[in-house]
Amino acid sequence: MITFWRVFKSGFRNTFRNAWLSSAATVIMAVTLLIMTFFAFSIIFVRSQLNEVQKKIDLTVFISDEAGEAQIKELQNKLLQVDGVESVQFVSKADALKRLEDSSEEGKKLAKSATDIGNPLPSSLEVKLAKLDDIGGVNKRIRDLPEAVIITETSFDSRDDNRKGVIENVIKISNGVTRVGAVLSVVFLLIALMIIFNTIRMAIFTRREEIEIMKLVGATKWFVRGPFIVEGSMYGVFGATIATITLVPIGRVAGQFLTDKFNAGSTVAYFGANFWLIVLCMDGLGILIGAVSSWLAISRHLKL
Amino acid sequence: MILLDRVTVIYPNKTVALSGASLHIQPKEFVTIVGASGAGKSTLIRLLIKEEVPTSGKIIVGSIDYDTIDKANIPHLRRKIGVVFQDFKLLPNLTVYENVSFALEVSGVKNAEIKRAVPKILQLVGLSEKAHHYPSEISGGERQRTAIARALVRNPKILIADEPTGNLDPKNSWDIIELLLKINRFGTTVVLTTHNKEIVDALKKRVITINRGRVVKDEKVGKYTL
Repeated sequence: MITFWRVFKSGFRNTFRNAWLSSAATVIMAVTLLIMTFFAFSIIFVRSQLNEVQKKIDLTVFISDEAGEAQIKELQNKLLQVDGVESVQFVSKADALKRLEDSSEEGKKLAKSATDIGNPLPSSLEVKLAKLDDIGGVNKRIRDLPEAVIITETSFDSRDDNRKGVIENVIKISNGVTRVGAVLSVVFLLIALMIIFNTIRMAIFTRREEIEIMKLVGATKWFVRGPFIVEGSMYGVFGATIATITLVPIGRVAGQFLTDKFNAGSTVAYFGANFWLIVLCMDGLGILIGAVSSWLAISRHLKL
Repeated sequence: MILLDRVTVIYPNKTVALSGASLHIQPKEFVTIVGASGAGKSTLIRLLIKEEVPTSGKIIVGSIDYDTIDKANIPHLRRKIGVVFQDFKLLPNLTVYENVSFALEVSGVKNAEIKRAVPKILQLVGLSEKAHHYPSEISGGERQRTAIARALVRNPKILIADEPTGNLDPKNSWDIIELLLKINRFGTTVVLTTHNKEIVDALKKRVITINRGRVVKDEKVGKYTL
């Protein structure tokens, strides 16, 4: 225990002995941790947005006014059997009018004029899909049903419904963010590993006399190596601290913005609630990166 | 007890540093090893602290057979043998006191024990007044005494002094030699290597002469002759 404490103390002291190299190592560690945290957040954010979009109705099938109740019922049952359909909900003409009325001030006016001309809004069947990617296929299968004669059009046909486009875009963004995040994280991880490796290598070089003396007076292998591992880990702790200090104000501003513009309150709240866990993860990751690069430098350059 | 039995060291470049050297040093002896530069003195010392391994032959120090000691135990072996060098090998950023206590720290000695042992040993080498000076603030003789204090603080059975007076003026050299004699009187085996004829002749102790890797002379009361 006393040895562990001495090793720790010596490593801690050594961290401050070569201020320039130490700062470089700390800064790159902070940048790496920031980038990793930023992309982790982005990925979670985009995924949750995708979820939100997907939760909304996927495909609306509009019914001709001539269709009888039995025909609609029949179609609803058939739709449920179509491959890729999860659920179907009927929205009557009256329901549609009510929804329009409730949607906004503008909607209320529109609903009033619609009532005056005898409610031209069609009844519809709202279809939820098991998988959004297949929206085109499901639409075609629905269209191919013999019962589909009562369908006037679907949201997929109508040009102004760009849900498919939106979803495809969100998926594209999600995949893009994940890919860019992964690549950038790996790149910065490697840079951090290399810079800390080099810092420790320099430390081993400048302290070679001290290492020789330690060996001479009978220091064990770990008494010589330990301080370098501690030193590497310290860069992780300092880097994580800087990253946290940078992240807090950014998080405040960005959190407010995302909540207002993207209705991302839940994701932002999740990060807020788990703040200390995130800090702990950053510290853990920083220590891991630092210790691993020190270990690599030691095994390559510190022959005992 | 130090026993070397037909020890040969041949470097990868085929240089023969020691060639069948045998010697036997009894506990509590004071032995001086002399020889020209490159005769094999330094190799002999590196063998004793196991910084080098002989190509052939046997080395036994105390009850330890160097053939059987594993790597993990080398630090423990080194704690039993104190070594001082011509260039002192002190840590410049530590004070005299810290340099000495450092040797105890690396071997896991408790702080209370360090606080007891270091002042005692500094008093023995006459450095109590300079305990909080850095190596750059003291004389060469004082630096060597710091190195001796560091070597002695763990109560080694053997003290090896590799040309400890090489960098010192005659006055300081004699102070160091007298300190080594004092340490020897307390019961520590001292192995001294030196080029200083005056010192060797005045010591009137056992002298082992090495030439070209061989022990060519071993006299109970010897003189410096090459």
